[in-house]
Amino acid sequence: MIRDSLRRIFALIKKEFITIWKDPKSRGIIIALPLLQLLVFANAITMEVKNIDTVVIDRDNSQESRELLSRFEHSPRFRKFYYAKDEKDFKSKIDTQKVQIGLYINTDFSSKIKAQSPTEVLIVVDGRQTNSASIAGGYASQIINGYNNEISAHKGASINAVVRNWYNPNLEYRWYILTVIVAMLALVITLLLTALSVAREREMGTFDQLVVSPLSSFEILAGKTVPPLIIAMILTCIMTLIVVIFFKVPFAGSVILFLVSIFISLLSIVGVGLFISSICKTQQQAILGVITFQMPAILLSGFISPIEDMPVFLQYLTLLNPIRFFMVLTRGIFLKGMGLEDVITNWIPLILIAAVTLSLAGWTFKRKLD
Amino acid sequence: MLTAEIKNLTKTFGSLAAIDNLSLGIEKGKITGLIGADGSGKTTLIRLITGLLLPDSGSVLTLGLDPFTRRDELSLKIGYMPQKFGLYEDLTVIENLRLYADLKGVPYDFDKVLAMTNLEPFQDRLAGALSGGMKQKLGLGCSLLGTPEFLVLDEPSVGVDPISRRDLMKMVRELITPDTSVLWSTAYLDEAESFDMAVILDKGKVIYNGRPDELAADKKEFESRVIELMGGYKREESLIAKNYQPIEVIEECTVLAEKLEKKYGNFYAVKNNSFCINRGEIFGLLGPNGAGKSTSFKMMCGLAKPTGGTAKIMGIDILENPGKARSNLGYMAQKFSLYGSLTLRQNLEFFASAYGIKFVDRKKRVDEIIDIFGFKGIEDQKSEDLPLGFKQRLSLACALIHNPPILFLDEPTSGVDIIARKEFWNHITALAKRGVTILVTTHFMDEAEYCDRISLFYKGEAIAVGTPDELKKKADTDNMEDAFINLIMGAGVDTK
Amino acid sequence: MKILKALIKKEFLQIIRDPSSIIIAFILPLISILIYMYGINLDTVKVTVGIKNDDPSVEVQTLVKSFGHSKYVRSKVYDNESSLSEDIVRSKLKGGVIIPNDFSSKLSRKQTGDLLIITDGSEVNTANYVQNYASQIANKWLFTSKHAPYASKTIVNPQMRVWYNQDLDSHYFILPGSIAITMTLIGILLTALVVAREWERGTMESLLTTRVRKIDIVLSKYIPYFTLGMLSMMFNVFMCTVVFQIPFRGNLLVLFGVSGLFLFTSLGIGLLISSVLKNQFLASQVSLGIAFLPALLLSGLMFPINSMPLFFQHLTRILPPRYYITFIESEFMAGTIWEIVLLNSVFLTVLGLILFGLVYKKTDMRLTK
Repeated sequence: MIRDSLRRIFALIKKEFITIWKDPKSRGIIIALPLLQLLVFANAITMEVKNIDTVVIDRDNSQESRELLSRFEHSPRFRKFYYAKDEKDFKSKIDTQKVQIGLYINTDFSSKIKAQSPTEVLIVVDGRQTNSASIAGGYASQIINGYNNEISAHKGASINAVVRNWYNPNLEYRWYILTVIVAMLALVITLLLTALSVAREREMGTFDQLVVSPLSSFEILAGKTVPPLIIAMILTCIMTLIVVIFFKVPFAGSVILFLVSIFISLLSIVGVGLFISSICKTQQQAILGVITFQMPAILLSGFISPIEDMPVFLQYLTLLNPIRFFMVLTRGIFLKGMGLEDVITNWIPLILIAAVTLSLAGWTFKRKLD
Repeated sequence: MLTAEIKNLTKTFGSLAAIDNLSLGIEKGKITGLIGADGSGKTTLIRLITGLLLPDSGSVLTLGLDPFTRRDELSLKIGYMPQKFGLYEDLTVIENLRLYADLKGVPYDFDKVLAMTNLEPFQDRLAGALSGGMKQKLGLGCSLLGTPEFLVLDEPSVGVDPISRRDLMKMVRELITPDTSVLWSTAYLDEAESFDMAVILDKGKVIYNGRPDELAADKKEFESRVIELMGGYKREESLIAKNYQPIEVIEECTVLAEKLEKKYGNFYAVKNNSFCINRGEIFGLLGPNGAGKSTSFKMMCGLAKPTGGTAKIMGIDILENPGKARSNLGYMAQKFSLYGSLTLRQNLEFFASAYGIKFVDRKKRVDEIIDIFGFKGIEDQKSEDLPLGFKQRLSLACALIHNPPILFLDEPTSGVDIIARKEFWNHITALAKRGVTILVTTHFMDEAEYCDRISLFYKGEAIAVGTPDELKKKADTDNMEDAFINLIMGAGVDTK
Repeated sequence: MKILKALIKKEFLQIIRDPSSIIIAFILPLISILIYMYGINLDTVKVTVGIKNDDPSVEVQTLVKSFGHSKYVRSKVYDNESSLSEDIVRSKLKGGVIIPNDFSSKLSRKQTGDLLIITDGSEVNTANYVQNYASQIANKWLFTSKHAPYASKTIVNPQMRVWYNQDLDSHYFILPGSIAITMTLIGILLTALVVAREWERGTMESLLTTRVRKIDIVLSKYIPYFTLGMLSMMFNVFMCTVVFQIPFRGNLLVLFGVSGLFLFTSLGIGLLISSVLKNQFLASQVSLGIAFLPALLLSGLMFPINSMPLFFQHLTRILPPRYYITFIESEFMAGTIWEIVLLNSVFLTVLGLILFGLVYKKTDMRLTK
């Protein structure tokens, strides 16, 4: 009995592989899309703000003010400096986004320093890009504070923050973003492989053939699950290798835990994809379904904005989001070497999602007769 | 005066010559039938004449214009109906008509077309919700708008019941002027025989061009002459049936329907349908498009859930124990749903394993089938690239791969040429003789003659059940086509 | 002209009949706006930090308390260091602050007191927040504590002003920016299948034998979906400004004008996919693969384009949302600045025309098979 069943499942798997793999265009899309995007995103995305262009008004034009400005000029984060002739020019440089930041030094700057009495340097940031603006503003403050410490004749009590960044001593943004991107691209590719598979067979009429054959729902489900799972698994492994080898992100955790984790995560995504596919009659409905799932799943995965900061209702909603746990797992095992106990805590919701979506999908296969 | 003049035309796809140095003239004011086997180049020729395809070499003049450079002028004078009718299924009947009227620059004057097509009461129905026959009529109606000088129809009667087919013919004859030329490609030889001219294509070449009555005196002779020209058909012992080992069956009544009913809201798609098919019997479900044949068929194999009654296969209720019931069933779906990207062999292997044939036996079984079904040499071609006749045969092979004692065939010969049809039925009748029970739907009335018993469907109900002879007698005629028409029309009057 | 009108009418009828177009145009933006509004928050991130105090002095207790009072930090006091680090490993804490036992004694001696800050570097963003918040809280405390008189005097104070967004509310730029992402998605999804569908269903074959010209076919695909897209765009703006009260300082005419240009480009992408592939399956695959992530990650909404390596900065120039995001954020927050409006409009127009040209070129008027 079981051998018969396995034989049928194997036949389905082989058929699916051929249909996915034989068309060179489709094959190209499946391989090229994630790998190309990985390379572009990995190289392009950073949270470090660099190449900051600055507009300056130096009303003081003293040795002290030039000294402060030269510190800006020597900082690797700042790039071009425009010396504005008046406030109007200053404003228009910021308005038209020629610069991201403005520095204004008042006439009394050097005299106040000589008198050791407090003075101010105005930093104007472009709030239209709030997050990079405040980061750039932070850099500017640091430079000014550094200058402050030197010119202050009066040394007193101060606090020195000694920072240790675990797992990522230099806070390399790339290490973080790459583990996130691998999970996101795995999501995209898995959905793309699964979401159309049933809807397309429904449209072409071959699904009726499967229903009429002695294949059970479970067997059809297994046949539809395994091939995309294997392809997505291989692609995820290739992407991980690229991340480790070419982008030199250290892999801290257990390889076996990592493989099992991506397996379970991908299984849950396959489940979601097949569920979407099984309730759709046409391919058009299926891509609509995928987008309405994929967009919130990525935005609410915790990568853009931490889950703890969301309203409670949305926090509960993210419990249904496989990509949330997937990202915790890739990042945790990759960078932190997460231990078994914590890994399993994240497996449980993924296994539940997979179980529910896959059973629902399987259930619709044979029940959905009109 | 020629409507279309074709000289030394050649068109190849890859290494295959679809049209091979073909020359032909199509006469003005005549209806020309275009006949040929699958893959003989009919559709390609039509597309070249209408300028939809570019030729490799040779020339075409359609209505005195080169269709490749002056398609704009030509489009005003030509009416074309492609095989998939070219209707927008999400537009209503009237919206489709208005669209094509606008595209052709003619006024919204649809009274005649609507009356002819009997679509008047359905003007606001979506085209997708029409039955097959009505879709064809609407498609034809759209191509007839603006009284074209040249009407080009690519197999308009595929999948259409005899009544609608007769209506289509009537429409064309009544709506054209004496000067209109028609090019009509068809798989129905009786249709072709009634035309003014017949052109027979074979392998991209014209093998006959002349008046049908010069070729033969009557319909029957015409058919045999055409078959002869197309390479001939010799009835041989069916190897498929000879080598077939159906599972032993003890039941007499192998397929049983008891008061089957399917209701959508207040509408009965199928009502109170009961029949019993005996072992080795060929049972035909006939009826106009939309009469409930397909729904009955789907309920019998468990693809649709009846709202009442039961369907049993070998005594097993298809809903209660679908797996067991279906293992006795070979199913050949409409339009031969195969996996297009798999090769012929891979399709066979897939269905063999899906039906649980063990790995050790599988290769033997598949090789055997390739041999018996005559697939040698093409077994590694992608099935979507096969000619229709082969697709049909492959579809049959897949349905028979697990030696089922029962075979369900849903319009198994739709769109297939005459010789392939004859071969197909030779296998089917031989299989029945070996004890295979067969349930079949068809629109070809000559095929209905092969059935042992026929159930004639109309508006969801079986209006007559009996042998072909009984039905003919009941309708007081000597041919099946008239019997069909008379019985349906009679019932139509009754219910009104 | 009449043919074009008929084709456009046909397309509109199809849109009305097909609920998925309406869902794409109105439900999708609704979901997306709700997510950006409530699910995404880039400014007031609250981090959970563990605190271990080794300094027995009473004064330092107030520092521990000020961690507890901060609105940016959820603090948890630990007695031993190993359980604190364990909680960082297990992601229960985003970081930790350890106050050494000589902390206040050093301060009272006018020396520098070290404050040990540990962060979970696997989440770079929150690690940065932990660093900043912890040292800010500590410095602020210093000037209110009894050590204040001995504290180093600050002479040069950096004063930060944020223009256009004084409240530093990230929703003020995220929501307008999200319109760009949503409109990219909508533009591509609406059109990616429409040409492929006509080829697959055989209706294209029928159209081609009538008088239609290439330009009719192309325009009849652009115009109806453009109209629908603009309605969807207005709906987006309405949701942002009226429902969620995002301040709009610009000019509505300018906003819709440039939005129109942007829509023109994203429809072009969808139509290009559809007319090149002529197959619903492949067109679906490609649009699913490219519609969302590049727009989200490379357009400058989330990550600064200026910081990318030069090659990738240039690469983002082919992404229409890049220009549109710059424009729409500025239009919302700073009002109409003509230089920004015109510069981005020129780029969008050029991209849109190139795409239009490609769509035109790839629209086949003949069958190949």
